[in-house]
Amino acid sequence: MQAEPLQISDSDLLHAVARGDEAALAACYDRYHLILFGLIMRILHDRAEAEDVLQDVFLQVWRRAGDFDEARGRAFTWLVTIARSRALDRLRSAGARARLGEEAAQTPRDEVGDAALDALKSETAAMVRRALAGLPEEQRRTLFLAYFEGLTQTEIAARLGDPLGTVKTRMRSGMIKLRELLGQSRESV
Amino acid sequence: MEHQEYRELLELHALDALDVSEARVLADHLNNCAECRDELIRLRDAASLLAHASTPAKPRLEIRDQILAKVRAEQTQDRPSTATSPQVVPLTPQAARNIWTIGLRLAAGVAFVALLTGVIVLWRRDLRMRQEIAQMSRQVNTQQHELVRDRDVLGRQREALALLNSPTARKMELAGTKTAQSASGTFVYDQKTGRAILMAEGLPATPADKAYVLWFIPRGHSPMAGRMFTVDASGHAMLPEHMPPEAMESAVIAITLEPKKGSAVPTGEIYLSSASS
Repeated sequence: MQAEPLQISDSDLLHAVARGDEAALAACYDRYHLILFGLIMRILHDRAEAEDVLQDVFLQVWRRAGDFDEARGRAFTWLVTIARSRALDRLRSAGARARLGEEAAQTPRDEVGDAALDALKSETAAMVRRALAGLPEEQRRTLFLAYFEGLTQTEIAARLGDPLGTVKTRMRSGMIKLRELLGQSRESV
Repeated sequence: MEHQEYRELLELHALDALDVSEARVLADHLNNCAECRDELIRLRDAASLLAHASTPAKPRLEIRDQILAKVRAEQTQDRPSTATSPQVVPLTPQAARNIWTIGLRLAAGVAFVALLTGVIVLWRRDLRMRQEIAQMSRQVNTQQHELVRDRDVLGRQREALALLNSPTARKMELAGTKTAQSASGTFVYDQKTGRAILMAEGLPATPADKAYVLWFIPRGHSPMAGRMFTVDASGHAMLPEHMPPEAMESAVIAITLEPKKGSAVPTGEIYLSSASS
């Protein structure tokens, strides 16, 4: 069972989950819980809340896997989108945004994880991190505020005290860079 | 907005960073533009790469078990026949799959019955509402009629009042005859305009085939028929009239009961009459 899921594509895994295959959900968890929990932690900064949200996320994956359609995006995107929006919902409902302040906008802290985690940092992850590190600080900051704090362009402009036009340009430039990266990562697969 | 302008919103939309109004405008465009839809899919895939910017983290080990336990509980709920019915025979793996299908069919059956019930309930409610609306509209009609009638009465009363206040008005008292001793009436007419009004009370109820007729009987002339009228339940009548010029100077007013089809000369008994002048 440990070897089997690795041979199945993400999409097939989700299709199996949609058919009610519990083992497929377990495999999906094994494959993605670290990255998804990391994402949720990054948004909520609270372990107990993040674990709660992680459970919600996989229950939603279980219930809604039938909605997944690879024609409308990658399986990874589908999973990450659920995790991000659940975590942001929790963040908003907890009114925790003020408490977090600027924290989430900082450059990711390069925590030293344990050996298992280090082994899990995929090539894609390393590539994304390198690319983000290559972006101008303001671009990266804007992207992170939108992605990890769920702020709109107007909210970001207010937060940073920058003109709205500038914020838009930065976000677009950052996204265009990521878009190129995605193309490369597809070619490399 | 041009296609290119929408196109420039896509990067921000992929990050859910557009303000609500812009997002709404873009959503309309996306409904009609396959190119932008495709681009948005790629941009969302790109945005999701940002998840890699967070450091992977390990939840407690029991979280996995808790999730799988919840999922198992949901599955059992979804298939009540396997869990709750004691009559179900022990399941083989093949049967387990079948029970899933049966569960789905049962659910579909239940959903269909629920839908049908819903439709019937709605249909009956619709019927009841239509009946209520019909009844209400009948009531409104009746009330409108009553309103029109009230307005007529009011109009006549106002006319009568104007007539009574006119300086050129003349009044004639009508007395009940032997036939209708308790009847009385007043006939007022304006000498200048000829407008007149009859107010009568205490007249016997009008028989179905008959009607009261007002007669002007000028001296030296044959009687001239005025209006035909009936009385209400209390023997009351009020009707506008017009005094014929011939009757203006000196005439007797009389009210007789005549056949409904009318008659050229008075044939019935006199109920009310003015004192001959």
